[in-house]
Amino acid sequence: MAWSDNNDVFRFNSSYKKMRRIFILTPLIVLLIICTFLLTYLLSGKDPNKPPSALLNKDVPIFESSSLYNSMEIIKTIDIKNKKTLINFFASWCSPCKIEHPLFFEIRKKYPELYLLGFNHKDPTADAKEYLENDGNPYDFVGVDADGLIALEFGVFGLPETYLINDDGKIIFKFMGPITKDVLKNEIEPLL
Amino acid sequence: MSSLVGFLSLVFAIGINFYLFLSRYIFKFQKHKFNLFVRFSSLLTLLSFFSLMYAYVVSDFSNYNVFQNSHSNKPLIYKISGTWGNHEGSMLLWLSILSIFSFFFSFTKNIEESFQRLTLIIQSLLHILFGLFIVFTSNPFLVNSILVNEGLGLNPILQDPGLAVHPPILYGGYVGYSIVFSIAIAGLFQDRDDEWLYVAKKWSLISWTFLTGGIALGSYWAYYELGWGGWWFWDPVENISLMPWIAGLALVHSLMMVRGEQAIKKWIVFLSILCFSLSVFGTFLVRSGILTSVHSFAADASRGIFILLIFFIVTGFGFLVFLLKEPKKSNTLNLLFINKVSAIVINNILMIIATLTILLGTIYPIIIEVLYNKRISVGGPYFNATVIPIMIPGFLLMSIAPILSWQTNKIQNSKKYVIGFFILSIMVLIQSYFLDFNTWGFIGILLGFWIIFASIIAIFSSYKVKFTIKFFQIVNPHIAHIGVGIAIIGITCSSVFQNELDFNINEGDKFNVNGKTVLFEKIETTNQINFQALRAKFLFDIEKNQSKKIEAGKNYYPVSKMITSEAGILHQWNKDIYFILGDQKNDEWFVKVLINPFVSFIWLGVIIMMYSGLIAVTRR
Repeated sequence: MAWSDNNDVFRFNSSYKKMRRIFILTPLIVLLIICTFLLTYLLSGKDPNKPPSALLNKDVPIFESSSLYNSMEIIKTIDIKNKKTLINFFASWCSPCKIEHPLFFEIRKKYPELYLLGFNHKDPTADAKEYLENDGNPYDFVGVDADGLIALEFGVFGLPETYLINDDGKIIFKFMGPITKDVLKNEIEPLL
Repeated sequence: MSSLVGFLSLVFAIGINFYLFLSRYIFKFQKHKFNLFVRFSSLLTLLSFFSLMYAYVVSDFSNYNVFQNSHSNKPLIYKISGTWGNHEGSMLLWLSILSIFSFFFSFTKNIEESFQRLTLIIQSLLHILFGLFIVFTSNPFLVNSILVNEGLGLNPILQDPGLAVHPPILYGGYVGYSIVFSIAIAGLFQDRDDEWLYVAKKWSLISWTFLTGGIALGSYWAYYELGWGGWWFWDPVENISLMPWIAGLALVHSLMMVRGEQAIKKWIVFLSILCFSLSVFGTFLVRSGILTSVHSFAADASRGIFILLIFFIVTGFGFLVFLLKEPKKSNTLNLLFINKVSAIVINNILMIIATLTILLGTIYPIIIEVLYNKRISVGGPYFNATVIPIMIPGFLLMSIAPILSWQTNKIQNSKKYVIGFFILSIMVLIQSYFLDFNTWGFIGILLGFWIIFASIIAIFSSYKVKFTIKFFQIVNPHIAHIGVGIAIIGITCSSVFQNELDFNINEGDKFNVNGKTVLFEKIETTNQINFQALRAKFLFDIEKNQSKKIEAGKNYYPVSKMITSEAGILHQWNKDIYFILGDQKNDEWFVKVLINPFVSFIWLGVIIMMYSGLIAVTRR
């Protein structure tokens, strides 16, 4: 009897010790798991500024907008349905827009057949005109989106934002923030 | 020139810390000399920081960092705060504060020399890690490759007096936990003596007080600058500052057990490591650009990986030492149904659960995106539904915890508390019946008042009221808890009973807010030094002679082409009337008015808590 009692005590002790070991190891295990996830996230090159778009590979939203220079001139979704189009949301008050602006001239020069559609977002007309006069106007058409409703349809997060539409009228590329030479070369040009 | 001085002294300081670290193994020093070297490296780091600040003040655009983040016609205060209003500068600030903590710690008396030295060596290790991080990935002293005579400007949203001091104070908390971490690790190598627990207590109180101030300033800034009408949004950036705050609160409370000679060393060491880990973790999340917010100045994967590595080394090292050198001698706890020890244990368990809940909610989107490539966000509803219920039993307990005894189950004057609680419940119930009844509102108000009420009963029935320093030290826990109670009332009222009114109005129109007539006087645009201001001027309560002026509007910053909103807030002791100017449409302005009851109580509560933190530092 005495022997088995002792044995029980011994067993209890060792399992207790094991439990404690595991308990003390927990922080290290949690740390490893968290760091693995964070590292995968960092290495995957995911950019929080670039959420997976719900609109990707979907039809262009329906919109209708008048020209900045002539309010009688209207552009509608149907007008861009059969041509490759680059849509860019910009505003005179948006400084990153200014940074990416010269790139559109490059695109225009290199791909004359690509239709460049700019949407002037929540901007007083005079400011927008002044901006395009100073920095130049690379767009084939500048649509007015004064109340931001078109941007809402596209799901624009913040300015600038750029969309590429293929000739079936599907959005094949979306970029948030100013496009750079790298983005142009590695992400946009292969699609053109 | 100043950039060169800054860079050299930064590198030199890192070198000294290498030397200090090696001195444990190779070049042995005398105590006196060792401390001198620690102070010297601290001063060098500060010199480096101030030379960057100098470059900002004189608008030295040959420094790339200054060029990127400053502008010559900014007011002086924002030139100074521009030093830490960017990634590189803020990391240098981090390192400087680390140095300041080491500097002051080197003056600590009455502790064993080997212990003090080991603590400082661990600090040196941290200094080396963060110093190398700055030099290799975030050097603020790079030379501008082009000649310019104007800078690009500081993010306008950061041009605010509250925000100018927010980072240094918040870092005082984050980085302050580094010394607590070092003390705890050094304490593990030290079995004979429990003196280090008192030292740890002092420093963790200081860090916690700084952290409280930093979080409150950030929150207050969000309240009046973002113009959303709230002061806490469960934004990831807020969450990561809340985690070390709650863990730090748990640490401060478990260090109280030293007084009852019941301290569980293991748990204290664990919490100390946790606090600093969470601080570094927060720095990682913000600085790696994984979280996008006003705080993420620039996303750069190499920085992210480097600081993740630091996080991994620091935390891994901490927990590994903890695993290998776990304290042998452990007190048995005197856990009774209701005594101080069991109250503190329950408090600690609740706080850790709350911290883990917030941690889970904060990193859950990252995990989901890695696993399923989907973007989700975890927001207010999750945190409100989890964190608040977890904390409620703790709030209930804290009302009487400070008067519980260490050794027995008895509560002094228990009858008074029971009767008081009943009377109060009935009063709050009646009051909430006449206003619109809301369960959360009822619970919050009852808890808040109960904490205040019970603490006051405790002060008057258990101690003789004298106006001496000693008296304030003794009743300090009660005072701290009164602060919490006041804050709970403010938090409950301002979130549950917030009232929103929308108007579409023109200049000269009158409208009604809360029974008072408000006149929309006019719209005015003015040119300030570095921005254009659009202000809508309102006169509140025009029937009285002393009507109050309120200005709400927007600022336009031409340098960075950004618009910030400026809420107009009329502070009254029992409510804030909060005006937000919207857009102009069809010649009418959209004006939103929020009535936030008892917001001032939140700030008052926080100030009381910070006061108590400071008083507690003075008590052994």
